[in-house]
Amino acid sequence: MSFLLKCPNCGDRSVYEFRFGGKLKPRPAADATEGEWLRYSYEHENAAGPQREWWYHRLGCRQWFFAVRDTCANSVEATFFPEEGA
Amino acid sequence: MTDSARIFFNDEPIPARPDDTVASALFRHGRRIFGRSFKYHRPRGLLCAAGRCPNCLVNVDGVPNVRACTTPVRDGMKVAHQNAWPSLDFDLMASTQLLGWAMPVGFYYKTFTRRWMWKLAEPLIRRVAGLGVIQGTPADAPPSYEHLHQRADVAVVGGGPAGLAAAAAAAGAGAQVVLIDDQTKLGGHLRFLRRIDEEISDLIDSKEAIKGGRGNEVAGRLEAAVREFPNVKVLNQATAFGLYEGRLLGILQDRRLIHLRAGKLIVATGTYEVPLVFENNDLPGVMLSSAVQRLINVHELKLGDAAAVVSHEEDGGAVAEDLRASGVRIAAVVPPSDVRRVKGRRRVRSLLTRRAEIACDLVVVRGPRVPDAALLSQAGAKLVWDDEAGAFLPASLPDFAAAAGRVTGDTSLRGALIRGRCAGLEAAGAPRGPADDEPFREPLRSPAPLHHPLSREGKAFVCYCEDQTVRDLEDAMVEGFEEIETLKRYTTATMGPCQGKMCQLPSIGICARRKDVAPGAVGTTTSRPPVAPVPLGALAGPHLHHPVKRTPMHELHERFGCVWTDMGEWKRPLYYTKDKNAPMRACVEAEYRAVRERAGMIDLSTLGKLDVAGTDAPKLLDKVYTNRFSDLKVGRARYAVICDEAGVILDDGTISRAAPDRYFITTTTGNIEFVQQWLEWWAAGTGMCVHVTNVTGGFAAVNVAGPKARDLLRKVTKVDLGPKAFPYMGCTEGEVAGVPCFLMRLGFVGETGWEVHFPAEYGEYLWDTFLEAGREFDVWPFGVEAQRLLRLEKRHVIVGVDTDATSTPIGADLAWVAKMDKDDFIGKAGIARARGRPARERLVGFVLQDESIPEDGSAIARDGKPVGRITSVRFSPAHGKAVGLAWVPADMADPGREIDIHLSGRFARAKIVADPFYDPKGERQKR
Repeated sequence: MSFLLKCPNCGDRSVYEFRFGGKLKPRPAADATEGEWLRYSYEHENAAGPQREWWYHRLGCRQWFFAVRDTCANSVEATFFPEEGA
Repeated sequence: MTDSARIFFNDEPIPARPDDTVASALFRHGRRIFGRSFKYHRPRGLLCAAGRCPNCLVNVDGVPNVRACTTPVRDGMKVAHQNAWPSLDFDLMASTQLLGWAMPVGFYYKTFTRRWMWKLAEPLIRRVAGLGVIQGTPADAPPSYEHLHQRADVAVVGGGPAGLAAAAAAAGAGAQVVLIDDQTKLGGHLRFLRRIDEEISDLIDSKEAIKGGRGNEVAGRLEAAVREFPNVKVLNQATAFGLYEGRLLGILQDRRLIHLRAGKLIVATGTYEVPLVFENNDLPGVMLSSAVQRLINVHELKLGDAAAVVSHEEDGGAVAEDLRASGVRIAAVVPPSDVRRVKGRRRVRSLLTRRAEIACDLVVVRGPRVPDAALLSQAGAKLVWDDEAGAFLPASLPDFAAAAGRVTGDTSLRGALIRGRCAGLEAAGAPRGPADDEPFREPLRSPAPLHHPLSREGKAFVCYCEDQTVRDLEDAMVEGFEEIETLKRYTTATMGPCQGKMCQLPSIGICARRKDVAPGAVGTTTSRPPVAPVPLGALAGPHLHHPVKRTPMHELHERFGCVWTDMGEWKRPLYYTKDKNAPMRACVEAEYRAVRERAGMIDLSTLGKLDVAGTDAPKLLDKVYTNRFSDLKVGRARYAVICDEAGVILDDGTISRAAPDRYFITTTTGNIEFVQQWLEWWAAGTGMCVHVTNVTGGFAAVNVAGPKARDLLRKVTKVDLGPKAFPYMGCTEGEVAGVPCFLMRLGFVGETGWEVHFPAEYGEYLWDTFLEAGREFDVWPFGVEAQRLLRLEKRHVIVGVDTDATSTPIGADLAWVAKMDKDDFIGKAGIARARGRPARERLVGFVLQDESIPEDGSAIARDGKPVGRITSVRFSPAHGKAVGLAWVPADMADPGREIDIHLSGRFARAKIVADPFYDPKGERQKR
């Protein structure tokens, strides 16, 4: 694993500078059923293809951002801060 | 050229010329056997002379498996042979050949079918088979390899004509270029040609005209032209051993590993020659034509007296001319299909053909040429069989990679220069010139490696590294290993030090012949990094020490005679003693008594510390922590627990409110990074106005605790420390001995005490101030071990010690920290779930009923079987017995119940108690 990730703040950096925060999953509402919470906590889709993920620039600007990464090719289509939507 | 260097081979001094390689110096001195083969210990001589084959591996200055043929000599170099005993020329281990019949293909799998068999055979096999050995101890090891990280716009691999043209063109267009070549000088195969008559100066930017001349001179002029560019960095004698994700090239150069990130990659690695397969094709004296040309034209060696040239060309081609010019008689030129076998014992005596036996001491083989496309394949290119070329050629290259020169199957010099220049211009983003579309192509026409059925008696080698013969491969196919990938794994052909360079094409040939299909239908084995062997030391890199974090009071602890313990990267005092032989328990108990009876002080600078500020800080903390902080009054502190969504405890600490929009958080020592990232994560994208700042290193902290703590602190501060003005769980900013401090009144050790946080630069000053002020109360510093005991008596849990990856606040007896009336917080659903069903196990306190002191981690037993575990246990001076915390099944967790603790072969009785072991009502810390 040696691909580059473009931090929206710092630019292209080695992936070793980052912490992976997992796939973006909508958190259930506070009053959601137990089943929904269990699925949220324990079921992981493990998708083959592009997915939106959390990443944290641990050895850089120390900010969380999103990356759209193809899990098969490790190619990153886009990175952006959560405020930037898209 | 004169000898000016001297190397030692097995301690014998050997003269050498300055531009010799180890192999050329040894050959000139008369050495013909350079190594012994892996399994049969057959003598092996120079075959490729280009660093591709495994025949000349030697030990150089203590480093095993160095290729003699590409290693330049250095005065005083110590070279030693490998894998032969007693000597290369007379190797007793060659007797393994007599047992060849007993070692069929798949020998290990077929023979060692029981574990004991392997145990018996392994030591012997390890002695006899193999490559070099690592000598000496780690202390004798050469200095470690260094790692470099570099970037380039364009990386060009291969310093032959195509690579040179590409580098010059890309650099001329303004790109930063790195040119990687594995030879001592640039020029590629040009260096080994006697004459180049083509006019090529129009094809490369050069100040001088480059036309005609000795190959070596033309190469030198091309190299000079490229070195003119300041934006070309040349890496000589460097091997680009792999292309990794993210266009990362791994390059090994001497004792240095370079990580090169390149925007564009140009591969101009050319072709290499591989042997023809016939009986005894491994005898010293059988050489590839490219090796012969190199040794004659670069090193000026006379390779023998009479040579037989095995070649399709009737006259033997350029190599025959070179041989004649160097004074070798051409005994015959033999077409490959006529060759029967080579005769001789330790070296070539004659070549037996279909028609005659030709006496000779050199057999020169014009073998197949294989495009060196491994890097392209790793870049994602396909390798497609081309019948005309007789080779797998690279196709469908990814857009960041280009190829030029012989690796593409074009053997012409003009073609190499033109395609190289095009690739260079394109990589640099510049337009090509009009002449660049010139369709110049002399296609590669590579002979097949196999020519006729071979007898099953003699040994015709396919894989030189692992001693695999045609017969071995054919037998393996009969046994069902017919696909090239399974054939490779079963026979280990292509898996030795040459990484398939010598044997892949012949293996595919054998496979194709047996299945009666084209080589393209067999396909190739997958090319993975490394394409050339890389020493493990190069990958490991320099020996880096782990970073060590020291608190500002480190030197004072050291002077006070502390015994250190590691907590993550931090050094913390475990306990203090003047006498290092004193038993730890006595020292710890003395510290314990100071805290319980007088006053003690502990360095808490390692605690994680966060400053959380902003109008939404209360909102964030209410969301992330299980208890409530929006209603925490300014000037008050509260115990704080973080859980994950499943309700599992992740960290604990305290949160103090310094101002309506400002909190000060402490975390456990090792968790600060995590807690900071966790808080920032839950704030990210919410638009909350909150800033989380890690102030761990900025602040030192001391906990002064004990009945005399108030008296001690009153001597150095005007802050009102009275029980009313500064109650338990209160906090305030204030000056202590002139230093601005943040004081929190907490009770982790169960006595009246203050945690004093202050700027780290005052660490030594305040520590000394407290010690001095406390002299009259006989204050003692205490370490982590005393603190563990003090808190255990209070039943305060340590997250990660008394809890694990399944512990919820419900099971851990901390249900009160989860404020279930909050609308939402991280872990609420998980805790609700844990609350709604009967617990499986609970964390309980216990007191031993006898004098024994179990160890942390001991098992709790029921009917002799382990059902629970102790997380913390210590001898409690307050009780006179050992006390501790343990996870036990819920039905055993009732107070008053007796449990059995497993204690090296016997069981000790303990009784479960509900309350803290010391000061159960918590009166002392509130005084």
